[in-house]
Amino acid sequence: MISPEVWLRQQARSVTGKLTAAVGWSLTVGLLIIIQAWLLATVCQQVVLDGLGLAPVLPLLGWLTCVVLLRAVCVYLSEEAAINAAAQVKQQVRTQLYQRLLQLKPGGRAGETGPLTELVTTGVEGLEAYIARFLPQMVLAGLLPLVMLIVVLPSEWRSSLVLIFSAPFIPLLMVLVGKGTETLNRRQFGLLSRLGGHLLDLVQGLPDLKIFGAARREAGLVAVASEQYRNATMKVLRVAFLSAFTLEFFSTVGTAVIAVVIGFRLLAGDLSLLDGLFVLLLAPEFYLPLRNLGLSYHSRMNGIAAAERILPLVDECKKTCNAETQRYRDDLETDQKQTSTKLSFSVAPLLRVSEADHAPELICESVSFRYGGERGGVQDISLTITSGSMVALVGASGSGKSTLARLLLGLAQPASGRILVNGMDLRDSDQQQWRTTLAWVPQQPFFFTASIRDNLLLGCPSADQQAIRQALEQVGLQTVLQGLPDGLDTLLGDQGAGLSGGELRRLALARVLLRDARLVVLDEPTAGLDAANEQLVLESLGRLAAGRTLLIISHREQTISHCQQVIELAAGRLERICTPREFLGWQR
Amino acid sequence: MRELLRILQPAKSQRIWMLGGILLGVAVISANTLLMALSGWFIASMAVAGAAKVSFNFFFASATIRALAILRTVGRYGERLVTHEAAFRILADLRVWLFKRLIPLAPAGLERYAGGDLAGRLRADLDSLESLYLRILAPLLTGLATIVLAALFASLWSRSAAAALLGLLMVSGLALPLWGLRMAREPGRQSAQTAGELRSQVTQGLQGAEELLLLGAAEQHANRVDQLSQRLVRQQVRLGSINSLTLSGVTLLTGLCLALLCLLLIPEVRQQQISGPQLVMLLLFSAACFEAVGPLALSLQLIPAAAESIRRIQELATAAPPLADPLEPQVATDRSIVLNQVSLAYATGTTALDRFSLEIAAGERVAVIGPSGSGKSSLIELLLRFRPYQGSVRIGGAELRELTPDQLSQLVAAVPQQPHLFNSSIRDNILLGREISAADLAAVLSDSGLDQWITNLPQGLDTQVGETGGGISGGEARRIALARALVSNTPILLLDEPTEGLDGATEQIVVERLSRRLQGTTLLVVTHRPACLALAERVVRIDVAQGGTV
Repeated sequence: MISPEVWLRQQARSVTGKLTAAVGWSLTVGLLIIIQAWLLATVCQQVVLDGLGLAPVLPLLGWLTCVVLLRAVCVYLSEEAAINAAAQVKQQVRTQLYQRLLQLKPGGRAGETGPLTELVTTGVEGLEAYIARFLPQMVLAGLLPLVMLIVVLPSEWRSSLVLIFSAPFIPLLMVLVGKGTETLNRRQFGLLSRLGGHLLDLVQGLPDLKIFGAARREAGLVAVASEQYRNATMKVLRVAFLSAFTLEFFSTVGTAVIAVVIGFRLLAGDLSLLDGLFVLLLAPEFYLPLRNLGLSYHSRMNGIAAAERILPLVDECKKTCNAETQRYRDDLETDQKQTSTKLSFSVAPLLRVSEADHAPELICESVSFRYGGERGGVQDISLTITSGSMVALVGASGSGKSTLARLLLGLAQPASGRILVNGMDLRDSDQQQWRTTLAWVPQQPFFFTASIRDNLLLGCPSADQQAIRQALEQVGLQTVLQGLPDGLDTLLGDQGAGLSGGELRRLALARVLLRDARLVVLDEPTAGLDAANEQLVLESLGRLAAGRTLLIISHREQTISHCQQVIELAAGRLERICTPREFLGWQR
Repeated sequence: MRELLRILQPAKSQRIWMLGGILLGVAVISANTLLMALSGWFIASMAVAGAAKVSFNFFFASATIRALAILRTVGRYGERLVTHEAAFRILADLRVWLFKRLIPLAPAGLERYAGGDLAGRLRADLDSLESLYLRILAPLLTGLATIVLAALFASLWSRSAAAALLGLLMVSGLALPLWGLRMAREPGRQSAQTAGELRSQVTQGLQGAEELLLLGAAEQHANRVDQLSQRLVRQQVRLGSINSLTLSGVTLLTGLCLALLCLLLIPEVRQQQISGPQLVMLLLFSAACFEAVGPLALSLQLIPAAAESIRRIQELATAAPPLADPLEPQVATDRSIVLNQVSLAYATGTTALDRFSLEIAAGERVAVIGPSGSGKSSLIELLLRFRPYQGSVRIGGAELRELTPDQLSQLVAAVPQQPHLFNSSIRDNILLGREISAADLAAVLSDSGLDQWITNLPQGLDTQVGETGGGISGGEARRIALARALVSNTPILLLDEPTEGLDGATEQIVVERLSRRLQGTTLLVVTHRPACLALAERVVRIDVAQGGTV
């Protein structure tokens, strides 16, 4: 993997033009500052020493005004260029990151939503300062002091020496202090994110805390966590500010020393006030780019810290995608070696596993999968689900039912063994095409804060009024929704607030009905429903089963008895496959 | 501006830190401007003395220059530390204050904020208050003090110069930034709003990613996020342009001020009202002053975004609780529950319970059944005092409205419809900070059917459950919630589908153990599962939106 900073510079490459413009205009500003200093010093020389009045210096003041005007324009142009460069980079990174995250999600990133949202929103903003501030400042810090030095050298070589000797200390110390801060800073980023997550977790759980009278105690914990954050942050800052301190120390003391040196040369009569003042005015300008670089050094660290978190996510997907292409190439090569008849497949980039109008047959061949932790997963599962059947998947909680379902849906890849869909390995299949033939209702179906209609149309934006009504009738929701003041346009609150648990379940079923899928996996479709509603849903499931393969995870007897086959799992292994009658009889 | 200060009320105990930071800031700026002024005067005087071949007492001046240089750098370091310390202390106070404000609101008062929106208010908006003092108030007050002190200093030498400096500093430090502020008000408000929308969409999208993918809607959603992000970035660029304009305006005014001072002061030098070195001194002093008021513009520009964040936080913090705490709490005398003609409606207008009546004697165990949507879960939320109601609810003879939340938590424990699991260990989630003996805990684990599962976990009770319990199954989460309720040992227990997600065998065991444990406890269990009915002595049926009992 490339380093975060290299990646950041790669991102900046697309805005090279804008950044060059920003630097160019800033350099022009630097030149105008030199002219301004010379004009001002000349005015002072003529008035203070040569005893001239206002009239003779008026032209000089006129020029001064012109230079100032030009400077203001160049400042504006430089800023604009930098901001636009940063905007473009932020947009391109955010788009890339979010798309990758949506694709990555099936890799099992559950439980990280908070930090990931943070990364997509504010994390990406962290790149702004790197692009708009740090990158231009870095170039300017190399160029501007040099220009100032060349200009000062002929007027006052002693002062130039002071500048030359004090300048190298600045980047040197900055790097030393910066290195230490960087590690601290990185820890800081995670800390803030955890602090925010902690508060959100507590607020989401407030009802539970209230039930058990624990809310006020948690308020104390919020204070403790905030205090820890403050202490940790201040520790970072005490060191981080040292670099700024160093910079300011050298620049301020350097300027002060130059003022004193010039003063003595002037007293001795070795120097004109014009030259002396000119050098004194330019001395701070010599240090300014270095100081700005020092200040933007924190921008750099923020940018890198953000990049460090973004890069692995963007990279991870690239790797898996590459691996897939590689596997496909390997297959292609072996295919070509073995037989030439298979070559016809290689025309399409990936294999199509099923046709849209055909209920798929699924075969697991010693499939195993484990999550990162110690819990869950399935081992050595071999089974066949025939085309067009309705199968119940049962087992104690934690026995691996959901995992098996996720594997069949292609949301997770088996660690070993393989899954055949219509005789074809799912791994080699075109995921995109496979997904168009699937529908899934998880245990907690997801609903967006949008109207009921929008949530229904998520899987099938083109469905017409007629189709919607039919789907709602099939799940027995038509009358419920008609009872709402806004009907289908009723806004659902967060996670479906506004409808009861059972109603939401049926709404998710209606969503699946609208989507004409060939394999439907339902995780506890009847949980939370009373017997009457369960019957209603089962009837619509019966209608749905025609021409489709249905896999239903359920505990409920009535639901199980509707299926043709029961697959029972225990502790991640296949316990047995039997008929519902056998299963229910055995259970009694 | 008043709003900005009002939000600092909860953190007023930090005012020493706040004031200290501002005073240090003024000291640093004074040192810097005086350093430039003195340097200019010093070299001009040396030049005049050198030209006239007279001696000049330079010891005092050169020593002061060095002292000011050191004061400036050390002072700046100290100022940074103090202002940051103040900012973090303020933030810590505000966090606690906001959390305490939210306690009475949950859950009914928080429902209208989407998850991502609430998250945003608690994270980004609250964190952005870090800059309220650090980047807005402190620089603002420091800058204003600078303008006044600068004019006073200049007036020691020349009234006209002082007037010009005061005027131009005001324009550069206040008028120009305020103009920028007005220009930025609308885009600032919009960008904060867009940022909130973006956060909400991203949260929902990531939480629903698998379904989006399978529904084929992932790309559509990514496009939506992309468009929001584009809008946000465009608004940020507009804000940036205003900033660039102000910045270039400050550059312009600084230069013009130097030219103007020359015009005003050169005649005064000719008339010997001020000396030549004093002209140089005032010129360099003015240039340094403009540098010092530069941050004013930045701080004023941050106000709109901060104001929007504050508005969003105040909206949360000042919302009226659905049920206020009673002024004179009643006292419960037994463990009975009596509902008389109780009605309950949601904010959306849907009626959950309509003139519902039910009597549960002390120690009686009642199961409530009914079709989904009939208000079974609302009944539990009602009894937890989560929602305002009409009619009368008496718990142990006391009216529910007139009980404090603390009294209620001593009296009633519950497994709500959607228990929340905290991102912590199983132990923390069960105990929630309460303390019980090891033997009691073991009994609770066994009665809630958790014992076997926990024994098999390598880390046992210390296993982390993940964000919102994402690391464990739904059935396991439910049993943890059950254990949590059993720990309280309250005289009244409310259970909403306590065995949901359990397989038949486990359910059987849990029901048996519970009925043994809950002898003498007043129990209300909402369920549709036949096995669970074994817990109850009486079964009550609710029909849709009414209170007929059977």
